[in-house]
Amino acid sequence: MLEQYLLAFITGLTTGGLSCLAVQGGLLASSLASQIERDLLNAPPAPLKKGKRPVRPARPNSALPILLFLAAKLAAYTLLGLLLGWLGSFLTFDPITRAGLMIVIALFMVGNGLRMLNVHPFFRNFVIEPPRFITRAIRRTAKETDTATPLFLGALTVFIPCGVTQAMMAAALGLGDPLNAALLMFAFTLGTSPVFFVVAYFTTQLGAALEKYFMRFVAIVILFLGFVTFDNALNLLGAPSVSGLFTAQQAPASPATLPSDNLTLRAENRGYSPARLAAQAGVPVTLNIVTDNTTSCARDFVIPAIKYYALLPVTGTETVQIPPQPAGTTMRFTCSMGMYTGLIEFK
Amino acid sequence: MPQKTYTITNMECPNCAMILESIEDKLPGIREIRASYKKGQVTVEFDEKLVSEAEILVAIKKKGYITAP
Repeated sequence: MLEQYLLAFITGLTTGGLSCLAVQGGLLASSLASQIERDLLNAPPAPLKKGKRPVRPARPNSALPILLFLAAKLAAYTLLGLLLGWLGSFLTFDPITRAGLMIVIALFMVGNGLRMLNVHPFFRNFVIEPPRFITRAIRRTAKETDTATPLFLGALTVFIPCGVTQAMMAAALGLGDPLNAALLMFAFTLGTSPVFFVVAYFTTQLGAALEKYFMRFVAIVILFLGFVTFDNALNLLGAPSVSGLFTAQQAPASPATLPSDNLTLRAENRGYSPARLAAQAGVPVTLNIVTDNTTSCARDFVIPAIKYYALLPVTGTETVQIPPQPAGTTMRFTCSMGMYTGLIEFK
Repeated sequence: MPQKTYTITNMECPNCAMILESIEDKLPGIREIRASYKKGQVTVEFDEKLVSEAEILVAIKKKGYITAP
């Protein structure tokens, strides 16, 4: 489970931070701009020392509102995680539903990436515009610059989640457990914070031209993530995928390995080993899945073709009976997120 | 009260709608501004006695947005 939170944290740190910043950054920047403006107005004139360049007044206050903003954001998203986990506990997601959900999220992300690149006005439909009363409240609050404002604004970002956040929200919903979902959202939002802080701190120095390049970069990252999500959904459906092809090429079946009716597969924290198995065609095949202190999503094991789904024990062996398959059949298996894959070839 | 709709050619994100709507706080005589990033449009409801259309267009331009002719 710990690896799942680490993954959420890294997702936040890398792509989540950037995409969130693209959606919510403007809001923070506008509130900071007025704060900085006020600081400059209130600051005493810079002392001029003989023979030295004038010292620019420091901005001791600019870090504090960002920190307050991020703290409130963290609290709000953790609460949202709690709520999503609670809602998810009423729903069950079989691999096919999960794949469907992932395809919707992937399309949403690709659409948003294309929108940010201004490919066609049609892609603007992929944006979820918050209701007017919320934007109005945000706008009015952004003008004030007391301590409560960044706190309030940070909490309000919950209403304008970015694409990656929405994907994470779906994952939190899928967990179906309030505490785990809250922890997942906490880890992810915490991950987004450093990028947010650094960029927001320097945002006033970021020129319009640079911002444009930055947005394009974010758009390309989101597009890439969209394709990865789509590919993972294909894995989950047992359909041929780019990552599946890559796994198969990475792990060619050893010629010495003869097709067997009794296979052993190790489900490790970093995936399945061997990723390519040779099975005997035309006879029932026993697949033994061995786990040894496995805590990653490799534990959620799926064979889409035979509609097999199981949550493997952390340490132990799970046996699956595969009905006879004709020679030449390729049966894919995957984790429930579509991240780790492998295949069984019947010969 | 008259209502005018303008097409904005350079709205690049949903935040732009919020920025355009903020004009209603600054310009007296404006009853309401509804901006839509999806449509790329801004609709202004205003009191002609207090504010002119030209002043509205200037305010939009000041925010960095271009209205279609």
